[in-house]
Amino acid sequence: MSAEGHEHHSDFVPRRFLLAEFQTPEGLLAGTTKMREAGYTNLDTHSPFPIHGLEEALGLKRPKIPLIVLCGAIAGACIAYSLIYFCNVFDWPLNIGNRPPHGPPANIPITFELAVLLGGGSSFFGFFALSKLPQPYHPIFESEDFLRASVDAFFLSVELPAGTDVDRALADIRTAGALSGEIVEESER
Amino acid sequence: MAAPHPVVVSPDPLDPRPLIEGKQTDQTINDSLLEHVWRGAGKGWWALFGVALSALGLLVIAISYTLYKGIGSWGNNIPVGWAFGIINFVWWIGIGHAGTLISAILLLFQQKWRTSINRFSEAMTLFAVICALLFPLIHTGRPWFAAYWLFPYPSVQGIWPQFKSPLTWDVFAVSTYFTISLLFWFLGLVPDLAALRDSSQSKLKRTIYGMFAMGWRGSGRHWAEYKWAYVLLAGLSTPLVLSVHTIVSFDFATSVIPGWHTTIFPPYFVAGAVFSGFAMVMTWMIPARRFLGLKHVVTMKHLENMNKIMLVTGMFVTYGYVMEHFIAWYSGDPYEFAQFYFTRMHGPMRWIYRLMVFCNCVVPQIFWFKKWRTSIPVMWVAAIFINIGMWCERYNIVVTSLHRDFLPSKWENYLPTWVDLSLFAGTIGLFSTLFLLFLKFVPAVAVTEVKELRHELAHDPTADPVGETH
Repeated sequence: MSAEGHEHHSDFVPRRFLLAEFQTPEGLLAGTTKMREAGYTNLDTHSPFPIHGLEEALGLKRPKIPLIVLCGAIAGACIAYSLIYFCNVFDWPLNIGNRPPHGPPANIPITFELAVLLGGGSSFFGFFALSKLPQPYHPIFESEDFLRASVDAFFLSVELPAGTDVDRALADIRTAGALSGEIVEESER
Repeated sequence: MAAPHPVVVSPDPLDPRPLIEGKQTDQTINDSLLEHVWRGAGKGWWALFGVALSALGLLVIAISYTLYKGIGSWGNNIPVGWAFGIINFVWWIGIGHAGTLISAILLLFQQKWRTSINRFSEAMTLFAVICALLFPLIHTGRPWFAAYWLFPYPSVQGIWPQFKSPLTWDVFAVSTYFTISLLFWFLGLVPDLAALRDSSQSKLKRTIYGMFAMGWRGSGRHWAEYKWAYVLLAGLSTPLVLSVHTIVSFDFATSVIPGWHTTIFPPYFVAGAVFSGFAMVMTWMIPARRFLGLKHVVTMKHLENMNKIMLVTGMFVTYGYVMEHFIAWYSGDPYEFAQFYFTRMHGPMRWIYRLMVFCNCVVPQIFWFKKWRTSIPVMWVAAIFINIGMWCERYNIVVTSLHRDFLPSKWENYLPTWVDLSLFAGTIGLFSTLFLLFLKFVPAVAVTEVKELRHELAHDPTADPVGETH
């Protein structure tokens, strides 16, 4: 990155994160609660597997996925049934042995399958959309230690707004039980 | 870093054997389960891969020949209008069902032992469904024209698929099944891909695994939604898997052919699917756990549980056979009676029927005995027998029912041609190729879930094993 580049993006303000490792998942949850109670916002935990109770520690609202899946499944069922109805009743009714063009029992399998397809699809794509993934770069990837977050380490990250007292934040996270604390900064790309 | 927990206890008072053997930490689990990905391909892998690729070549030749000559190159002809194509389709789809059972149904029933085998069986589901999908596609003879018969695509001819036909339901069922299985498998894989990304030694590997990991950073905010996305996909897959084989059985059950026209088909097909699927999981799992070093997470307890499921589903299948024969007699229908008591038992294809009864009804009974249920050679050979038996079952349903038509003047025998046999062998090659590639590039065990399980077992033996409930 050259000096000119810096001048060119002179309005770039890097995001800063406080990243701290905890010994155990339970310690991470306790530390998260303490930091949240100390007034820090934009907290996030990073762990190799989901920890029981992290929603409470992070103070998260109810997950949105179930509602998204319900809407997807209902939409799938409606699309399937109305498609079959349109084709069989309006667009191309076939008279076979004088049976009615609209045969509800025969429509059940496809209606069910499309409900599952769109419900499952909205679960998958809804999750990635809510999580803003794929996201190839995130400032916390700047930390070398963070490589262990997917293996066996438990981290807490706190996004620090501009003007935060960094030393105090580091002291606070020590008090909350962290093994270590470091400040990571977004790199200019 | 998490403190090591030396003793991993099982919460099941009836079966105190552990689900994870040895002193494990998150680090040792991570390293031991990713080791087979980082280790270079051995001679054994290349040898198997060579055989699988040759069989795949045979598949390419057989498909090309079928497309060039037409489906007249297959052995089926009136009265046996359906033969290898549908036998193999049903066989492969059935094999896929064990993967969904393990990954979805056992998750909902909170069976902790599923964790070590779910990734493996889900991959098997995907590859088996790919093999299955080939047959209905090729059997149309000109698959590129088939799109507008199969999917409601607004073509200029104004033709819609026949939505009242089970074959059209099948198209929707199987394509939904493949899509949902793929999404479920990939969603489970994302955290493991991040672990692969973060422990890779070369930049190229880091970039490739990083692309598939999609920037996963184990965020608690993500996990909170992830757990719901995962369990809801499981919840949707559970009725899906039952519906898929039910609809496959409708292909037969809605017709008037003696031997097909029965109401027991849906449950009996689903049980048979799970039965054959577990047999295929065993066929691959027994060598894989040895050669990939997975014995500490896929223990004898896992194998024994799978054998018990094969025993149970084998008896479901046996009950299905008994009921078919009973109803054939009880209905008083001479064609039904002739089909079950003469054609199948004493007709020219009686040896297929007898092999089916031996493999599916007699062989699983050895799993009543703990000595055989826990013997690796015995269970592997039994699994092979069950694979063969379930193929014979489909042959018996399709070909044996058709080759003795209502009018004796139409009776005809059936023999597959080299194209039929090559297509079947070729799909085994396709399946093996995909499976060997999977074992080489992706962790065969869900590393994240094993870490979570270890943590739960070590801390609280009565913990909620999936952690989905709040």
